[in-house]
Amino acid sequence: MTTYLFSFVFPFLLATALLQSLAALSGRNLRGWGPALAFGLIGAGIVLFPVDGLPLARWLISLNANFSIPLTAVLFSKLVDSLFRIRLLDDKALLTCWIFSLTASAVLYPMALGLTRLDPYAAGWGFSWLFVLMFSLTMVLLAMKNRFAVVLIAAMMAFNLRLLESTNLWDYSVDPLLVVVSCIGLGCHVRRKARGMREAQGVRRE
Amino acid sequence: MATIGLYAWPAYQWVSTDNRDSGTFVADPVQASITPDVPLIHKEFISPDTGNGIVHVASICELSQGRLAAAWYGGTREGARDVSIFFSAKGPGDAASWSRPAKVVDRMSASKELCRYIKKVGNPVLFSGPGGRLWLVYVTIAVGGWSGSSLNVTWSDDSGNTWSKSRRLTLSPFFNVSELVRNRPLPLSSNGFAVPIYHECLEYFPEILWIQTGLTDPDIHFKKSRMTGGKSFMQPSVVALGPSEAIAFYRSRSHEKTIGAAVTTDAGATWSEPEALSLPNPDAGLDAILLSDQRILLAFNDSPVNRETLSLAVSHDRGVHWTRIAILESATGREFSYPYMIRTRDGRIHLVYTWDRKRIKHVIFNEAWIEAQIKGTMP
Repeated sequence: MTTYLFSFVFPFLLATALLQSLAALSGRNLRGWGPALAFGLIGAGIVLFPVDGLPLARWLISLNANFSIPLTAVLFSKLVDSLFRIRLLDDKALLTCWIFSLTASAVLYPMALGLTRLDPYAAGWGFSWLFVLMFSLTMVLLAMKNRFAVVLIAAMMAFNLRLLESTNLWDYSVDPLLVVVSCIGLGCHVRRKARGMREAQGVRRE
Repeated sequence: MATIGLYAWPAYQWVSTDNRDSGTFVADPVQASITPDVPLIHKEFISPDTGNGIVHVASICELSQGRLAAAWYGGTREGARDVSIFFSAKGPGDAASWSRPAKVVDRMSASKELCRYIKKVGNPVLFSGPGGRLWLVYVTIAVGGWSGSSLNVTWSDDSGNTWSKSRRLTLSPFFNVSELVRNRPLPLSSNGFAVPIYHECLEYFPEILWIQTGLTDPDIHFKKSRMTGGKSFMQPSVVALGPSEAIAFYRSRSHEKTIGAAVTTDAGATWSEPEALSLPNPDAGLDAILLSDQRILLAFNDSPVNRETLSLAVSHDRGVHWTRIAILESATGREFSYPYMIRTRDGRIHLVYTWDRKRIKHVIFNEAWIEAQIKGTMP
């Protein structure tokens, strides 16, 4: 039951974020508790709206039943930032998230899809080197005061509570949509950095 | 401290439960002594003629008191949206006939039970477990063809009259697709099963789905491990030779068009490199079981190019050499495929297979018949 209820969280956040983005695009930059409540209620209505006997959220789950915790956290952070101007995940945490997910996916997907003999996905079913690696990474990030550590802790908590349909730790840590978001996020980060460097060089020339 | 606790919890579970050990293979519970000496073979159809439709991928298992149950899929064509999984039971006794096929799963019921969109259903595998529970692992597809397959499980505690709500098994990190089932599971000493499965997406390779069940706990625990099969072997038929020893026979997608085989000596944890056997394989399913004297019986399509001939062969040296003992079916332009065998407690061998995609055929024979065939075919 908990897994079923949690499956509505990502679609709900997505619907609410899309509504907020649409409002922002139309020139209405609505912020605060009132708009948040309104977007939330409409978002809940959308994801619960039955189409052909299935709530809309479950149609999304039909395509991907395991939206990872980092992806959910990034979406939640973006939504909170848009509605309340509170950055739960700062640039450093987001950059860590992009690098983490791209590295994890580069290891996981080609191997799990059969391009190599090893299958790292098998390490996610129960205690293994993957858990030790995740723990070590979390500790290092906590020591560096990187907020992405909290996301990894949340992923571990979700795994222990079996909040996703999957019982494999990999699915709590990374998913194909997060990889796409990370590519875009990292691309934007690199572009921002490059623009910043160009501007700095321009200032020095002047 | 809380963080350490969070990460320590899976380690504690790993140490405190038997999950880390899948168990060893359980030997076939056959009682060879009651096998009659008189050669016996009997052929019958399980499913009625489909007319313009198709039936495919049959599996059979033994219920309590000598009854049998079978499952397969059928519809207007392979991969059609109207494909359903059918169930039929028989017995006890030779005179009994197969019950009228009952629909167990279709795309609408699967969609309702799994709470998601299901475009079509596919391969089912039926097997019985501890406590008389009947298990059905089956394929569903939400998007695309067979490479979009996911596996689901449902069970029945009343010999197939009613079934539990289906449960989705997450077995792949990439949208949980490209996992299929076809072959007979092996019982494990830990009350679980080793279910041979296979992956077909970018590459084709065989895997094992390890299912752990409790006698009273309805919850199931599962994990998956890869078998060595290169990129051209799939649909493993696994024969347990001992608690830790087993041999797997593979359907081949290679240019060599021969059956592949690999062995394990550590209860499926690792597998040897697949070796090509001398028997052909036209990229079609096959099945093997162990006879009471440790010989291996194989049902296969005896051609590198088509599924027109279904034969039986026996090996006394773990698959190195084979003796063809019988041609069960042979007709030009027809298909006799996807054999699936079990040996029941009375020592009889039950073989089910797709008969020209029109019907599911059931052939019963005993080891005395196999001996008679060997004597008749050997020089």
